[in-house]
Amino acid sequence: MKIRVAALIVLSTLVLGTTVVQAHSASDAYLSLTVDSGNRRGMFVVHGQWDIALRDLDFVLKLDDDGDGRLSWGEVRHHQAAIERYAYASLGFSGNPGEACVIKPTRQLIDDHADGAYAALFFDVVCRQAPLKLHLKYNLFFAIDPSHRGIFVMHDGANIATAVLSPQNDVIDLTI
Amino acid sequence: MSEMKALRAKLDATPQSLPAAIHLAGAYVDYGRQVGDAHYAGYAEAVVAPWMGQARPPTSVLVTQATILQYRHQFSDARALLQKTLSLDRNNAQAWLTLATLDMVQGDYPSAGKDCSQVTANAGLELGLACSANLRSYTGQARQSLAMLHQAEAAGDTVPASYQAWVQGLMAESAERLGDWPLAETHYLSALKLLPRDNFLLVAYADFLLERARPKEVLTLLADHAQSDTAFLRLALAQSALHSEQVGRYTWIMAARFEALTLRGSDFFGREQARFALELQHDPQAALDMARRNWQVQREPWDTRLLLEAAAAAGQPQAANEALDFLQKAKLEDPIVEPLARRLRAQLNAPSGEIK
Repeated sequence: MKIRVAALIVLSTLVLGTTVVQAHSASDAYLSLTVDSGNRRGMFVVHGQWDIALRDLDFVLKLDDDGDGRLSWGEVRHHQAAIERYAYASLGFSGNPGEACVIKPTRQLIDDHADGAYAALFFDVVCRQAPLKLHLKYNLFFAIDPSHRGIFVMHDGANIATAVLSPQNDVIDLTI
Repeated sequence: MSEMKALRAKLDATPQSLPAAIHLAGAYVDYGRQVGDAHYAGYAEAVVAPWMGQARPPTSVLVTQATILQYRHQFSDARALLQKTLSLDRNNAQAWLTLATLDMVQGDYPSAGKDCSQVTANAGLELGLACSANLRSYTGQARQSLAMLHQAEAAGDTVPASYQAWVQGLMAESAERLGDWPLAETHYLSALKLLPRDNFLLVAYADFLLERARPKEVLTLLADHAQSDTAFLRLALAQSALHSEQVGRYTWIMAARFEALTLRGSDFFGREQARFALELQHDPQAALDMARRNWQVQREPWDTRLLLEAAAAAGQPQAANEALDFLQKAKLEDPIVEPLARRLRAQLNAPSGEIK
């Protein structure tokens, strides 16, 4: 599964002169988590990467400042904070009952996928202690496009879990 | 685009207004279909979602939702909503027309005939004519189909461009059934003159050009439409026909786009995926598997043709049995499908080992 997702990504780049209107398949985002096995002493940490199509972000956040139908790197960078606010509001993690885990954004890049440019949001999920189960809730874009899907992959050592997040399947419990 | 913005503003100002929601959702669906962009079906779905969530959604919402599902090839769910609509409102013209299209796509021609009569009764002669003519092109009556479409064509500018383009596109299709290539091309070009950016027409004309060994023209025709997955496949096929060094790149990108669809669990492009496997990945077995799966839900002439081609390429004529029976019943006349079917029948009837 990891290979499949990786195959969709052409290369990471910081330059883009891409049109807002890109490939026309339905909306997908790619969420991948990797449990940090070297960090078990104190906090429990999961590293995340979340690729969200710029055209979808443009539809809700109006990133194309000069309205020329193209997104420049400058325009995306200008809205970086708004993109993070919007995205992270639709993703939540909690650990053992009553213990919310915190999302800490680390950086934001641009990824070119086969169907256009994506914002790649990197973050850590930090829980105070290793939970038995990590509870994930996802509702990106569902209110404006119920056909949006979050293609989810989690790596925990040698174990790989996958799921497709949708309005009907917006919560997953991950056994750590 | 600007029409959609205006309709969006109207709905935002009056979020409770059902007519405003139906108009906006309809504009999204039309636009998405025209440019071949699946996102708009999702936006439309979100617009009607508050009404779909009600215990008894209004019929206009049921029909809109059915159109969205049909566009996504969720045919049985779409059918259920259309039947529900018609049980509430027997004279709902849009529901009958959508059901007719659905029955034609799925190859249920007797039901489509009944649906088209209902379209005539409830929506008027123009739509009824186009509906019945479309059906006749699938059932070995392409000449009659053309005659009916000539009548429909006579309405001229008194009807919307989208209707005129639909009629021209159907005439092109009927002419193809008869193997009258110059006539087909004339009608494709008239249709595209009316709707130059229509993804469905562009792709159908590109298939016509590929068939006529004119791949270079496909590159020009679709140069600005690479975003659409269906158009992109035709670009890749044209590159392949030209033995261009770009083939590898196109094949790779197409594979990645289909992979993304598979990841989200969509069978949306069964026909395209089968054709991709057959013609660009040269994997007849994979093509046959996909063509068979696709044929269980979609039975337009192209779907049947692909199943026959894949069965022949994989050396498994028996896999085409059901499709051959279907063709016999439907009496489809088509200068490409017929010889293919004859060849497969000969293989099936030959004592084993005689024909390879």
